[in-house]
Amino acid sequence: MITDEEVEILEEIMNIAFGKAASDLAEVIDIHVALSVPYIKIIKASELPVYIKDEIKDLINITILEQTFLGKFKGNALMVFPSYAAKELIGMFGLDKDSSLESDPIATLEREILMEVGNILIGACIGKISELLKDNVTYSPPQIILFNQPSKAMTENHLSYTNSAILLKTVFGFQKGDVSGLLFLLTRQESIQWLKNALQKFMEQYE
Amino acid sequence: MIFAQIFENINIGLVVLDRKMKVYKWNRWMEMNSGISNEEIVGKNIFEFFPNLNTEKFIRSCDTVFTFGSFSFFFQKQHGYLFPFKLSGFIDSRFEYMQQACTMGPLRDEKNEIKHLFIYVQDVTAVAIYETKLVEMNIMDSLTGVYNRRYLQSKIQEEFRRHKRYGRPFSIIMIDIDYFKKVNDQHGHLCGDYILKEVSSKISSITRVIDSLFRYGGEEFCCLLPETNLESALTIAERFRIAIMEMENHFEKKIIRVNISLGVAEMTKDMESPYVLLNKADAALYRAKNKGRNRTVAL
Repeated sequence: MITDEEVEILEEIMNIAFGKAASDLAEVIDIHVALSVPYIKIIKASELPVYIKDEIKDLINITILEQTFLGKFKGNALMVFPSYAAKELIGMFGLDKDSSLESDPIATLEREILMEVGNILIGACIGKISELLKDNVTYSPPQIILFNQPSKAMTENHLSYTNSAILLKTVFGFQKGDVSGLLFLLTRQESIQWLKNALQKFMEQYE
Repeated sequence: MIFAQIFENINIGLVVLDRKMKVYKWNRWMEMNSGISNEEIVGKNIFEFFPNLNTEKFIRSCDTVFTFGSFSFFFQKQHGYLFPFKLSGFIDSRFEYMQQACTMGPLRDEKNEIKHLFIYVQDVTAVAIYETKLVEMNIMDSLTGVYNRRYLQSKIQEEFRRHKRYGRPFSIIMIDIDYFKKVNDQHGHLCGDYILKEVSSKISSITRVIDSLFRYGGEEFCCLLPETNLESALTIAERFRIAIMEMENHFEKKIIRVNISLGVAEMTKDMESPYVLLNKADAALYRAKNKGRNRTVAL
C-alpha cells in the first residue's frame, strides 16, 4: 500500500510541518508547543480502537476531541487530552478562572478551551502538512466525543472508520504548565494514492 | 456569474475580510440583518462598525486562519453571536440578539496565498430557543414553575462542594403546606393545584436573588440559601410563614387560607453529605408539625 521509503518521506514532511507549526503557534498564540517526532503506522480500521486504547491506557480520565478534514488529503484528527489539561489551559490562555464558581459554567469553559486549543493545534498541523503537499483543506467544527471520562470509556463507536488508514501519532506538550496529550491523524484510504503522488512530487524538488 | 448570485441570495451571512480587517465583500443577508449596506461598509474596517469583534479571541482566530489556512469556529453556546443583530419575529424570545453559529476560513488567490478570510453566519436562534426550553423543562416543575427535585439534587451537591471548599455558610429550609390534604378533599384537586401555585409563587417572590426554591414532593418545598447562617435563615423562614399566613387565595368565589410549617438547618463541618443536611431540615420540619404546625423550627 505504501512503501517504507514513502513512510520515511512522510515522516520527514511531518517533521518539517510540525516544526513550522510549532514556531508559528508560538508567534500567533504566544504559547510554546512541543510536538514530538511523529510516528507513522499503517493500520486496519478494525485494529484502530485497540491500538488507541492501548496508547491512552495510562491516562486516567480523558477528553477526546475529533475533527474531520477534507481536501485531497482527508481523514480525521483525534486529540486526546488528560482531564486536568483544560484547567491548565484556561490559566495559560488567560481566561478568567473565577468568572463563576458553579460547576456548569466551568464545564462549558473547559469545553470551550479544549475546542479552541484543539482546533488551533489540529489546524496548524494539518495546515502545514497540506501546505507542503500543495493541498487545501476544509475542516468540520471540532466535536468533543468524550468529556472527562475514564479512558476505558472509549469504545469502538467513537472510532467507526471503515477503511484501513495511515495513522500519524504525535505527542504534544505545552512548555508553560504541565499539559501534554496525543494527536492522531487518521488518513483515509482514498487519499493514499494522492498522498503517494504528492510525496513523489515533494521529493522531486530535491532531486 | 452563478456563484455571485448564490453569494447574494443564500440564506446565510457571508463576509470577506482582508488582512487589515477591511470588509471586501458583504452579502445581502448581512445587509438585510445589519441594516448596513454594501456601499457603506465595503472598504472600511470591520471594527468601526462592530467594535464588539475587537477581542483577543476574534483576532487570534483571524491570525490562525491567515497563518495556517485553518478554520475557526464560533459556537452559539459559547459566544451567542458575532454580529449583534436585533431579533424580529420571535414572540417568545429569551435572546435580545440573533443567535449565530459562525465559521471563519481562508481564501486564497491564484498564487495560493491567503489574502482574505471568509466568515459565514448562520442564524440558529430557533434551535437555541428550543434548547433553552428543553433545559428549563428538565429542571422546572411544570405545575408551579419553581425548580424540580431532580435539579435540587445537583444544585445541593454543588452548594455542598462549594461549602466544603470555601467554608462559607449554607442553610436550607424545608417547607410543607399544613393540612393540604384537606384542601384537596374539600375543594377538589384543581383548587389544590391552585394553592400550590400561589404558595410557591409567593415564597419565590420573597426569596433573594441567590436563593433557589424547589418543589420537593407533593406539597413540600425546599429552599437553598447560600451564604446564609442559621439565624438569617430563620428570619427568612419566618418571613415566608407570615406571608403565607396573611395570604388570601381566591378560588371560585371562596377565600382559602393555608399555613406552612418550616424546618431550618445550617450546614456544619461534620456533615459528610448534603443529604445529612436535608435530613436535619426534614427532622426540624416534623418537629414543627408535631408542635402544632404554622411554625418555624430549627434543631
